[in-house]
Formats: sequence, C-alpha cells, structure tokens
Amino acid sequence: MRRDLRTALIGLAVAGAAFAAVCLALILTSDHQSPTDPDVVFLAGNIGFIETGLLTWWRRPDNRFGALMAATGFAGLLNHLTASNEAAVFTLGLFVANLVAPVAAHMLLAFPSGQLRPAEMRIVALFWAVATVLSWPALLFTASGPARRGPWPENLALVTPNDAVVTTFGILRGVVAGAGVIAALAVLVGRWRRAEGLQRRAMAPVLTIGVLTGLVWGVLVTVDGVDPESGAVPVLQWVMVVYALIPVAFVLGLVRGRMFGAGAVRLVVAGLGDAAGPGGLRDRLAVALGDPTLTLAYWLPDQGRYVDTAGRPVELPAPGSGRAVTPVETEGRVVAALVHDVSLAAADADTVRAAGGAVALALENERLDAELRANIAELAASRARIIEAADAARRRIERDLHDGAQQRLVAVALSLRMARGRIRDDPATAAELLDAAGAELDQALAELRELARGIHPAVLTDRGLGPALAALAGRSPVPVELDADIDGGLPAPVEAAAYFVAAEALTNVARYARATHARICVARVAGAARIEVRDDGVGGADPDAGSGLRGLADRVAALDGRLEVVSPPGGGTIVRAVIPCGS
Amino acid sequence: MRTTVLIVDDHPGFRSCLRTLLEADGFAVVAEAGDGAEGLRMARRHAPEVVIVDVGLPDISGFDVARALAGERAGPCVVLVSSRDAVDYGGLVAESGACGFMPKSEITGDAIERMMSRR
Repeated sequence: MRRDLRTALIGLAVAGAAFAAVCLALILTSDHQSPTDPDVVFLAGNIGFIETGLLTWWRRPDNRFGALMAATGFAGLLNHLTASNEAAVFTLGLFVANLVAPVAAHMLLAFPSGQLRPAEMRIVALFWAVATVLSWPALLFTASGPARRGPWPENLALVTPNDAVVTTFGILRGVVAGAGVIAALAVLVGRWRRAEGLQRRAMAPVLTIGVLTGLVWGVLVTVDGVDPESGAVPVLQWVMVVYALIPVAFVLGLVRGRMFGAGAVRLVVAGLGDAAGPGGLRDRLAVALGDPTLTLAYWLPDQGRYVDTAGRPVELPAPGSGRAVTPVETEGRVVAALVHDVSLAAADADTVRAAGGAVALALENERLDAELRANIAELAASRARIIEAADAARRRIERDLHDGAQQRLVAVALSLRMARGRIRDDPATAAELLDAAGAELDQALAELRELARGIHPAVLTDRGLGPALAALAGRSPVPVELDADIDGGLPAPVEAAAYFVAAEALTNVARYARATHARICVARVAGAARIEVRDDGVGGADPDAGSGLRGLADRVAALDGRLEVVSPPGGGTIVRAVIPCGS
Repeated sequence: MRTTVLIVDDHPGFRSCLRTLLEADGFAVVAEAGDGAEGLRMARRHAPEVVIVDVGLPDISGFDVARALAGERAGPCVVLVSSRDAVDYGGLVAESGACGFMPKSEITGDAIERMMSRR
C-alpha cells in the first residue's frame, strides 16, 4: 500500500514537473504575455504547491491536506494555458483559468485537518460558482482582455462581442467572490483565534498567508469584476507573490509544528513533578498541547470500560463528533486515552501520541487511582442497590400478604361470623358459608406457602441445592433439564445465590423467552460454584433493563462472584454465575 | 326503612362477602365501586347514608375519598376499613373527616349502626 502510494506520488511529481515545463514554455513563447508578468511568480507558486503537497501527502497519507495542496498546484498550472498562442489551447485556458480559486479556497478552509464542515463546503461552493457559472458565460461575449504585451489570440468560444454582458457578469462575480472571501476570512480568523498556545503558533504562518491571499484575491476579483479593462496588474503581482508564499508558509508551519511537538513533550515531561493530584496531569497535557478541552479517560481492562479521574464511567466520542481519541499505551497495553479537539489530531497526531507516550507511566499510576475510585464507587452503588432491593422485597412481601392471604383471612372471619348467626335458624346456609371459609383458608395457605418459598425455600435449607433446583424445575411451565454435579454441598450463601439465579432465570424464561426447553447446569469448578441456565428462546435479554438480573448480579458480586448474561437476538439466552466457595 | 350503603373496595371477593353480611343484618347495599374515583361518582349518584371505604384503593386513598365526601353538604357517614389496624394509620383517620375506622375482620351491622349514632 505504502509502495503503491509512493509510486503514484512519484508519477504525480513527474507529471507536475512536465506540465510546469510546458507552462513555462508557453509563457516564454507567448505573444501576449511577458516573462516578467506575475505569471512566472504564479508558476513558481504552483510548482511549490505540487511538490510541497506531494511531500505532505507522502508523510501524512491519512490527512487529505497534502492532496489538496497538490490539486491547488495542478489547478493553478491550468491557468497558464492562457499564455498559449494557439487559439484552441488559449480558449481552453480561458475556461479553466479560475479553477485554482475554489481548489485553493478548499485547501485553506480545510487546513489543517484536510476536511470541511458543512458551512465551509458552502463557502467553497461560492468559489466554484465564481470560477464556472459566473465566468464561462461572459467568455462567450469577450473578444479581448487585459493583454500585457500583445493582443489576445482568437477566442474560439466567442459568439459576439458584448461589453454589457461581460460587465454584468463581472459585477456578479465580484459580489459573489467578495461574499466568499469575507466568509472564508471569518472562518480562518476564527480558527486562528480558537487555537491555543503552541498550536496557534504552529498554525499561524499558513493562516496568516491564507488570510492575506484571500484579501488580495478578493480585491483583485472585485476590481476586475467591476472593470475588466482596469488592468489590475500591480494588484495581480501582489496576489501572485502571496500565493507563492503559501507553500513556504506551510513548510514553516510544519517545522514549527515539529518544534511545537518537541516543545509540547518537553513541557509535559518537565511539568510531571508539578502535576500531582487528580487532574494535574490533564492540566499539564492541556497546556502543552494547546487544547484546553483535552480530557483523560483511564482504561479499566477488567471492567472493559473507560473512567475519568473520579472513577466515573466515560463514553469515548464517536467519529464525526468533532472530538478525537488518542490511545496511550505502555508495554503494549492501553492505559488511557486522550480525548481532544479533532483539529489537534489533524495538525499533529504524532505530537499528541508522543506527549501521551511521555506520560504513560504517570498515567498508569493515575489509572490505578481511577480504578480504585471506580471500584469504591461501584461498591457504594452496589450496596445502595442491595439495600434498595431489600426494601423493595419487604414492600412486595407486605403487599402480597395484604392483597392475598390477609384479604382471604378477612373473608374467612366474615364468613365465620355470618355462619355463627345462622347456624340454628338456617344450618344449610351456615354450612355453605363454612365451606366457603374452608376454601378461602386453603387458598390463603397456598399463597402463604408460595410467599415463604419466594423468601427462602424450605427445601433448600432442608435438602440442599440439588433437590431445590429439581423442585424449581418441576414447577416451571417450560420443560427444564437439570444437570447438578455438586457432591459435598456448597456454603449456604452460595447455595442461596445459585438457587435465586436459577429461579430468576427460569421466571424470565417463562415470561419472556418463548422457549420450548431450558437447561440448568450446576457444578463445582476450581473452588467455585458455576451455575448456568440456558434456553432456546428468542434471546435479546437486556440485563440492565430490569431490576431482577441486576439485583442478582449485586447478590453474586457481594460473594465476590460474577454474573454474565449472553443473549443474542434469536439465539437463546445463557445466564451464568460463578461464585467462589471460599476456603 | 333500611339504611343504604355503598361499598368501595378493590377486592371483589371482599365486596361480595360484605354485601352478604350487611344485607343479612338489614342494610340495603345500593352500589359497589372498585376504586376511589368510581366510589365518589357512585356516592353522588346514589346518596347512600353510609359509605364503607377501603383505605388502600388503587387510584386515590380511602382518606382522600373520605375527605372529599366530608366536604359535601349532607354527606354520608364514611366508614374507613382495612385489613390493617387503626394504629397503622396514626391520626390520618381523624384528619380525614370519616365517621370512624373499623378493621375488616370486625365489621358487623351493629358496629356500623353504633358508629352512625355517634356521628
């Protein structure tokens, strides 16, 4: 890939040199343009663009800015076709002469990332309008132009000379170009103002020259647009000079960028001793890299997530959000990520990586602190959830008792009272009432048994996990296969947690999975109880959606265990818990 | 002339049982309601002399029903009932404007008439 790029770039460099040689020959032999004209300066500028652009492209293939610079140089060379004495080449040159303006505007507005935002695309579109639809129609009515040595060759596109049409299009072109220049200048100045510290210094040469070019070109197009016969050669000379300076400015920017990179790394390393305390390292990096919005995210491999200094979860920005992420590694392991403005990555990704690498060890220490804080926060949250779950369970039991057994016992009491009042006068009705009371008592007993089983199943206490799971499987509406291999029993808290994992999982199978079959596997593996419930249902279970599985995860975590839910859509669900059995 | 009664409770089984008991004791149960809003509508439509209201209703509490009926002119005697004890509710019964409170298991026609006479 790299070799292919190199071959392509060498080809483009050779093509550029050949095209430039042809252009120089056209200028030197031109009957209507002089070698002392600004065109020679312009030619030098275009060659500079092509070579600098190709070099940048080679060094930074991931950034489109180099390609844009080279494109600007090639578009600029097209302008030199107007030096030809051949009518056909000259006429073609008239039509493509101004294409350099939109390409150059694109390049400057895309500096340094090589990419345009929507508002900048609209500005570039204005320049395309100036170079095409507002220029080409006038050429159909233009017989001659501001020749600087002799008359123009024949314009083969000429329909009929008409100064009024030419002037009208010139005014339109001037207005649109003026608007485009003002908007582009506003963007460039704003970007420079937003840049900070060392980054601003690195960007300054290109943006300064870019702004200057825009200003002079704007004046030129406006003056030329208003009066095509104005012969604004002195202005043109100035615009060519500053245009030719852009590649020089870019090289200067690269050099300063490299100095910026080295300076940034030095600044970070020198300030490591002062960066003690949470946030200290972030502040040093933000100052050194010139991005006050920079933040740090620490990678917790065990939890598979990033956290901030305080241990709070952090979501890394998505591509296209205007933020970029530079991972920091030490010994091949990711320890943290620098989250910064995307322009910083575009300007000098190597510097950001180098600055991150320079502080990787210090970041590892901060990462450990963040991990500790995250664990403490998770522990606190887990305790809060356990207390909340216990409160909720108590409320549910009270509600179940009130709505179930208590109501039935009330009905029994009323029935007994009514039966007593009728037992002498109406023994048949009294017998019916006593039957009804008996039925209510049976229901109340059944409900109390179910409730007691939900609090803690007696079979688990009396006979252990295997029989308790067998009873659970027997009550499930979905056929359940049980594979229990736990000779010797398990500690009571582990048995209870394993039982409730299976109970919750089977409840979910019955309610949501639309499964035809489920299987419970429980075994003692390497000093831990491993319980797994899998079904052949619809999958797609979200362990964070309900309180049931989350509460179980907390319960399992309280025993230093781990709960895992695998539930791809359409692929069934596996709920698996591994709980250490202790010594 | 039998005393007219409205029963407001979300448990149909209890409503049915209480209707049988009250009718056997000489009361006329004019309507039943399963929640507070329906209870208020029925009370205004039938104008019963006694409204027996469960404290724990699914929409509004029995105290709210009692407060709303107590604020009306010539309102009925509201008897709050629950399967819990009166002590579970502290001073809420007195503040509600109800005639009194009765545990569900102790409801009898005599007890309701005594409560009406104390009004």
